[in-house]
Amino acid sequence: MNTFQQQLKSRFAVLGVIVLLVLGSLLVRLWSMQVLSGESYALQSENNRIREISLEAPRGRILDRKGKPLVTNRATLAVSVDPANDQVRKLIIHAQSEAKSDDPTRAEIESVFGGLADQLGMTPQEVFVKVADSQVEALRPRVVAIDVPLEIVSILSERQQEFPGVRIDEIAVREYPNGSLAAHVIGYTGEISESQFAASGEASGYELGDIVGKTGAEAQFENVLQGDKGRRLIEVNAQGKPQRVLDEQPAVAGRDIRLTIDIDVQKVAEAALVEALNEAHRQNFPKAKAGAAVVIDVKTGEVLAMASVPTYNPTVFLGGVSTDVWKKLNEKTSEYPLNNRAIMAAYPPASTFKAVTGLAGLQYKVTYSGKTYTCNGKWTDMGSQWPKWCWDHSGHGTISFDRGIEDSCDVVFYNIGYEFYKRKAEELQAFSRSFGLGSDTKIDLPGEVSGRVPDAKWKKAFNENYPEYQLWLPGDTVNMAIGQGDMLVTPLQMTTIYAGIANGGVVMQPHILKDVLASDGKVAKSFEPVVLADTGISDANLDIMRRALVRVTTQGTGASAFRGFDASVAGKTGTAEVKGKDDYAWFAAFAPATNAKYAVAVVIEQGGHGGSVAAPVGRNILAKLLGLPVETVHATDLSR
Amino acid sequence: MRRVERTRWKAVRDFANAPLFLATIALIIYGSIVVSSATSGMDGGPGLFKRHLLGIAVGLVPMIIAWAIDYKLLKHWTGPLMVALGLLLISPRIPGLGDSAGGATSWLQIGDMRLFQPSEPAKLVLIVAIAALIAEFEGKIDRPKDVGRILGYLGVAMVLILMQPDLGTGLIFVAITMTMLLVGGMKSRYFAILAVVGAVLIGAVLGFHVLADYQEDRLLVFVDPARDPRGAGYNLAQAKIAIGSGGVSGQGLGSGTQGNLHFLPERHTDFIFAVLGEELGFTGALLLLGMYLALLVTALAIAASSRDLYGALIVAGVIGMWTFQILENIGMSLGMMPITGIPLPFLSFGSSAMVTNLGAVGLLLSVWSRRYGT
Repeated sequence: MNTFQQQLKSRFAVLGVIVLLVLGSLLVRLWSMQVLSGESYALQSENNRIREISLEAPRGRILDRKGKPLVTNRATLAVSVDPANDQVRKLIIHAQSEAKSDDPTRAEIESVFGGLADQLGMTPQEVFVKVADSQVEALRPRVVAIDVPLEIVSILSERQQEFPGVRIDEIAVREYPNGSLAAHVIGYTGEISESQFAASGEASGYELGDIVGKTGAEAQFENVLQGDKGRRLIEVNAQGKPQRVLDEQPAVAGRDIRLTIDIDVQKVAEAALVEALNEAHRQNFPKAKAGAAVVIDVKTGEVLAMASVPTYNPTVFLGGVSTDVWKKLNEKTSEYPLNNRAIMAAYPPASTFKAVTGLAGLQYKVTYSGKTYTCNGKWTDMGSQWPKWCWDHSGHGTISFDRGIEDSCDVVFYNIGYEFYKRKAEELQAFSRSFGLGSDTKIDLPGEVSGRVPDAKWKKAFNENYPEYQLWLPGDTVNMAIGQGDMLVTPLQMTTIYAGIANGGVVMQPHILKDVLASDGKVAKSFEPVVLADTGISDANLDIMRRALVRVTTQGTGASAFRGFDASVAGKTGTAEVKGKDDYAWFAAFAPATNAKYAVAVVIEQGGHGGSVAAPVGRNILAKLLGLPVETVHATDLSR
Repeated sequence: MRRVERTRWKAVRDFANAPLFLATIALIIYGSIVVSSATSGMDGGPGLFKRHLLGIAVGLVPMIIAWAIDYKLLKHWTGPLMVALGLLLISPRIPGLGDSAGGATSWLQIGDMRLFQPSEPAKLVLIVAIAALIAEFEGKIDRPKDVGRILGYLGVAMVLILMQPDLGTGLIFVAITMTMLLVGGMKSRYFAILAVVGAVLIGAVLGFHVLADYQEDRLLVFVDPARDPRGAGYNLAQAKIAIGSGGVSGQGLGSGTQGNLHFLPERHTDFIFAVLGEELGFTGALLLLGMYLALLVTALAIAASSRDLYGALIVAGVIGMWTFQILENIGMSLGMMPITGIPLPFLSFGSSAMVTNLGAVGLLLSVWSRRYGT
């Protein structure tokens, strides 16, 4: 070794140190990434390549009590727009921006959705609204149209580059074999709303964009109908293209349910309501546009038919309801067809309530069978400055309690009401409540209103800002006695009153669910009848009322509607005065009069007279149930 | 008999360097295994792997030639070597010969057939040329004039390489020159000055947008990977995920999902280390670093064995080249260095690089086999 090499030695040592430092620093970094943080990187690697796809569970069907389908499912081709597409995403981001100036222009929308809109017969703006306004989970394709004809589907899929982000998927949608029949009972489905989603919680497995029941039985029995989503883990490459399935958990279909509704009775009820509107128009009540009818089994509370007019067609909600249609469905001029008036609307019960007042009078011994009253048409017992009129201004003369029901004499019930007022114990209210009035019937449908049983406390609170109206007056009880004033009852509540009278004073809780079926079609769980209220009325008093109500349909205000009817019906007509509107027509009944099976209630808003407009609806519903001929009846009745 | 054998063995050892061979062969085999795995899932994968093996075979030719030639002869050819270097770096711009890829004009091709990247062998030409220049100062560089002359040579090469533009190779040129200046005895104050000037230059380059956009992007993404996760930062992020997810023992050869599912870009070339890291884990990476250590230590020993400064400088240049390429290539996959398209010696797919590295081994052997000469 010469000196030259000695001299270089230190320099090589420096170079060696540099080499060691380089390799050493790489080693340290590798140790930290692979050994210390390996698991976190492994997770990132999995997130890169593994995608979870949820598999839709077929929604359970809704059947009628005999198993006939009310709602089923069918497959359809849906045209969706993928929000991840660059052009589409740009539009959405602009539309979501706070600044108005960022909103995409007509031309921009046209350039992205123009072609698709042409094919679908929509405007580009409509397509854009469906894509941008959707509350679907951010990356999920937004359905723009369903039931797209095959030739358009083939154009869309063959010339994909002309239609940015467009994809075709086969999806399952609800099918309604009977059209709009029972639409209010079954309800419609739609994308889960943000509030529903937030309320559903993590464990429910819902994702934004999922189809859920929005109203009616679809919403009420969502848990049963929905089923459990499956999931599939797939491996994708960097382009997002699926490579293989790693794991799959199949979806569990939702359960089928049977409702207590009988399709055939429902059809009769809906047709009879429409007929009643026509009849009202013929009788010079042109404002009659809406009404409801309910019939239940008095022993079980099963709802055999529940109809509400005007109605709607639930198919308009498939694939997302358009803004125009939605607006129309929620307008006053269209009479709010989405409302199920049988449970969502409360009306003054008018004379149909006299059965309750009468029973209260008997039960509290304010009156008795055969007690006579004098009706001069004008009633001045509260003082001549506060006269009340009978609907028959010429007066009924000397009239018994029982005839008072038959002819619906107001004066008889003014007397009873006034007696109750003088007793100062609000017994009429308490008695009304013993039927369940003023509270929900607890029917298994969403949106029920509870009506109102007015009393002194209520009046004071209601007129909080009007001290002069806060005092409960004799006239309040007197009005209530004939079902006017502040008393409010839903058609379903009215049905339960008559069902209670028919069923020995025991009111069964009305319900719509008959049973839940297992996947093999066998009954998995049945609804057991529940007592809603026990009025405790004596059999003797019930008997008095029953006999009087039968005479209503044979000789009284309902006789015309039940002419030639081959079964004994105990019923009551009613004609409610509503300020600023034409009279509301009521009819409530149970049949057969002895050993009754069914109770029915009908209301026609601004339909005029109960006996000539509402009673024929009740007649035909009962006819269908009792196996009697269903026929068009033109009845006359000028009572109120 | 035993004496004769020992003598014969000594003759072989005088001529060939067993540790260098072992390290080189080990790296080439290891590299081939990883390249085979990286290319297996690619379009035309088997074809690519065959080309990799062909590159190794072709590389034996320059290795043997360099080994056979006495490196000392090159000492007198500084001028022509610099001309050759210039021609190499300009050649891709000659109409009918060049081709551009990735924004750079760095390929020689005839018709549609790509021949090689001239910038690869240019590194070796730079080493022998500048080593000859430095050797003239006999181990002591203290005059600014001398430093200037050496940097002038480097400067010419830098201008030409940056015109392609190929920043990565330019940085290798700098690393090679600095290593040789260290061994050539440049005073440390000059290193300090150069470091300051370098830092100022980098600042100026970024400040005045001298670099191509994609190069500037890569540099900035290195500073802040979240800048553009789908663009330049995406590559880095995916490489880090691949390496990190390898863990201690790796996911198994051929089973790396980052590579096979195309999340890793350039996985058989620039990001070959990410494939190795993902599939063979820390253990596999440790093995590779061990092989590099063996190679570089062997090279240092060869440098130390050289009788003359010129030989030592050539070996130092090769050491500088390899060390920097290892640091830059692995470092960029680990997020320690900016992303540049520098191949990992003996590992990355790419015949130009393989041929050049085997040529470098030939230079080392040339120095080793002549360590007893005058």
